[in-house]
Amino acid sequence: MREGRHRRLELTRVASLGFTAFAALAFLGMLVLFTVESLPVWRQAGLGYLFGKRWFFRVHEFGILPMVYGTLAVSAVALLVAAPLGVGTAFFTVEVLPRRARLAVKTAVELLAGIPSVIYGLLGVLLLRDFVVRLLAHWDPLSGDTLMTGGLLLAVMILPTVMTLADDALSGVSAAQRTAARALGLTRAETALRVAARQAFPGLASAVLLGLGRALGETIAVFLVIGRQDNQWPKRLLSMEPLASAGQTLTTKLGGSETFISYGDPLHWGAVMGLALVLFAVVGVVSVAGARLALREGGGA
Amino acid sequence: MRRGIDRAFAAATGICAAAVCALLLGIAGSIVWRGLSVLDWRFVSRLAAGAGASGGVLYEILGTLILVATALLVSAPLATGVALVQAVYLETRPRARRWLFVALYAANSVPSVLLGIAGLIVFSRWLGWGKSWLAGGILLGLMILPTVSVALIERLRSLPRRYLEAASGLGLTRSQVIWSVLLPQSLGGLVSGLLLGLARASGETAPILFAAAVFSGAGLPAGIRDSPVVALPYHIFVLAQDSLDPTVQDHLWGAAAVLLALVFALSLLALPVRLRIHEEAKSA
Repeated sequence: MREGRHRRLELTRVASLGFTAFAALAFLGMLVLFTVESLPVWRQAGLGYLFGKRWFFRVHEFGILPMVYGTLAVSAVALLVAAPLGVGTAFFTVEVLPRRARLAVKTAVELLAGIPSVIYGLLGVLLLRDFVVRLLAHWDPLSGDTLMTGGLLLAVMILPTVMTLADDALSGVSAAQRTAARALGLTRAETALRVAARQAFPGLASAVLLGLGRALGETIAVFLVIGRQDNQWPKRLLSMEPLASAGQTLTTKLGGSETFISYGDPLHWGAVMGLALVLFAVVGVVSVAGARLALREGGGA
Repeated sequence: MRRGIDRAFAAATGICAAAVCALLLGIAGSIVWRGLSVLDWRFVSRLAAGAGASGGVLYEILGTLILVATALLVSAPLATGVALVQAVYLETRPRARRWLFVALYAANSVPSVLLGIAGLIVFSRWLGWGKSWLAGGILLGLMILPTVSVALIERLRSLPRRYLEAASGLGLTRSQVIWSVLLPQSLGGLVSGLLLGLARASGETAPILFAAAVFSGAGLPAGIRDSPVVALPYHIFVLAQDSLDPTVQDHLWGAAAVLLALVFALSLLALPVRLRIHEEAKSA
């Protein structure tokens, strides 16, 4: 197997490297593509593009702050629900359940992960919207299409990601550590929370980060329940009111009609591509951070 | 006191797990219950009528199968190549190997709508295609590439060391080792990764939104350029925006049940292999 002994061209090697290069190029190429295509809007608006609160494409005014807010708001709701629920479930399956029952819960979670986002969206439209109207009755929402609806739907969607990765992290803690802790007289809860949770902390953090990455980028389900209202910049940032009204996220804007109609207008097209670039960058940073945390623990790689 | 905390811990986490299971049952149950009343042989064997809002979903099912089959053909060789580079060719370079793994995680988290938009630019703008099934299949294949690669890599890494030692003891070249030992022995990983990826691909809407799918007026594609397909997820996506009409609702539940059956069938096939690999990898 030493190199040099067979210096002839190895087809398998060339093909593998070629395919890998192609895949890398496809994904890195997207970054270049969005950067180049969005240049017109950066030239025209500069940083005002990131911090502007108004988007009116007919008068060539492009500010994405309300959409950034929308993305952050729905993701925050999703994390607040899914992180405790997912990590809690992982604690239960690893620390409390016997092995056989654990596989049953994991199977349920794998199936939950497989449900297509458009079906989540459909359930959101047909079932969750009415529920949210009742839930938020105090804030008097105009309809069931709110940031809260999008956030709750996302919570269910990222739950499997958080749970599976948290489960991996917790079950990666060595059995010897657990046995030692129990032998010292710690209860099951103390072993879980003081020993296992501390050991698995990077893995748990990465589970939450990768869940966040998914929430930030999800399009179809959120699209169907968020109302897609432009320029919704809340008067008070930290109140329930903006959550009870319709909004727009980076992804729902990208999935909407402007991607088609902006085609002939370089500046408008640039503004839409800018959304793609910002989304790519934000999700990229969050996910690489999450992946590095996960792999640090001597797991996969 | 400590006993009490212990019980509270078990109860609190148990409630979380019960909630998760209840969610799955609730979701699957409501779709099956509402879908079954619509679902019959005619629903899956007839063409859509009333501009897609009634009738059957035969072409939508066929379109989805075409997209998924294309994605399979695209991602299988690519993923095999990536996995071989990560697990075999970079053996002597742990840093590069690690980065490739992180890159796969990162690629897996690229929002699928961005793939759709990149597809719009590349296929429609540069190549001048109209909407095309091939564009959709390629985009879906790229989307599931990380899933398939990682499944194969995990399997390759869990192969016993002695297989490799025996192979090199026989004086096989690296290509021979790959083709006669590594790939046959890790076929299960590739297959389960592919099934899982295809389950995901069959339900995805965002990548086919701009470059591949139309709502109505497409049958079986006759060529490559300007040959769009109708597909189940896109069908549901469009109809869901117009869901106040009760007959549309019935049609929607039916289509959702068909899609969910397809997705669950693919992921259940992959499940035994997947759970086993997972457990093995940990005990190794």
